[in-house]
Amino acid sequence: MENKTVYIKPKRNAEVMKEDVFLKDIASLTCTDEPLLAKAKALKVYHFQEGGEKRVVISNLRLIELIQGLEKGVSVENVGEMDTLIKLVKMEKKGFLVWMKVVFVALISFFGTAFTIMAFHNDIGIHDVFNRIYEQVMGQTSNGFTTLEVTYSLGLAVGITLFFNHIGGRRITQDPTPIEVEMRVYEKDVDDTLIETADREGKTIDAS
Amino acid sequence: MLLKRIFLGVLGASFGLMTAGGVFTVLLAVGLIPRFAGKTHTGRRVMLYETMVILGTMAGDICSVFEPQMGAAATGRLGVPEPVLNCAAGVLLACFGFFAGIFIGSLAMAIAEMLDSIPIFARRIGFRHGLGIAVLAVALGKAAGSLYYFCERMFLFGG
Repeated sequence: MENKTVYIKPKRNAEVMKEDVFLKDIASLTCTDEPLLAKAKALKVYHFQEGGEKRVVISNLRLIELIQGLEKGVSVENVGEMDTLIKLVKMEKKGFLVWMKVVFVALISFFGTAFTIMAFHNDIGIHDVFNRIYEQVMGQTSNGFTTLEVTYSLGLAVGITLFFNHIGGRRITQDPTPIEVEMRVYEKDVDDTLIETADREGKTIDAS
Repeated sequence: MLLKRIFLGVLGASFGLMTAGGVFTVLLAVGLIPRFAGKTHTGRRVMLYETMVILGTMAGDICSVFEPQMGAAATGRLGVPEPVLNCAAGVLLACFGFFAGIFIGSLAMAIAEMLDSIPIFARRIGFRHGLGIAVLAVALGKAAGSLYYFCERMFLFGG
């Protein structure tokens, strides 16, 4: 008998729009046997209850079990994650609320960092430091508005723009910006936590 | 004289660059803004938030470094009637206080969390339930402490 192998690469975090979750929504698959592949893709792996939890962790052993149940002598190779977090997301409500949230976070970012840099300048006594440096170099008293203050501000602007890697909406290089990187790290940590919590509480949907 | 001025310029620019690197690496390591974006599900607007961080820093920088000049400019009043000016200033101050407060509050907790003080403490004393109450207590304690500090005007005595 021909040996049929299905390769599956489950995602770590899958967001679905509908209550019925099919295998193709949470994993990519390949197999030399077309009909088997089609059947595997259409496997229903989970059904979200109305009004129930909006996310579930499914062990990929369960997926393998389901695929093996399709036909005799099928072997499954997992080349992806061990557990998959499935989230049911309703179509995002566009409009006022989202807009308000964006404005809110933007204002926090603006005033918060303004305060932080002011507190920092206050902490280090920036006027004192600048005045002393000015006197050392120029040999006369500073009037508080000199080359040093102006270039410092310019340097700060250049430094932080380079750091965040974009001016307005335009990127300076193709790299992701630091906050985008942090964002992914944070999401990954959250996913890890959810998966491990589900595992510890025994809520993971595992192979029977 | 010109050489000295150029030297000062180079000094200033390098101070600025290094401060930007230092201060923002800390802010970023704490991961505050990604968390705000994550909580509000507005991850696609991260670029806007970064722009606001840049603008906020510049505004704060100008206000604190050019403080004497700003004071002089403010007394000019630009021909705006006083009640309007006072009203606008009040709104601005309230906004500044509120949002800066949120930012600093989150920053303080995020740093505490980064040092793992809460999980370690909770584990030591065998804390399992009521974490929500503890968090609420921390928030109320911070608010009370801050109000007490300002009411008693402790900053006047460096206390």
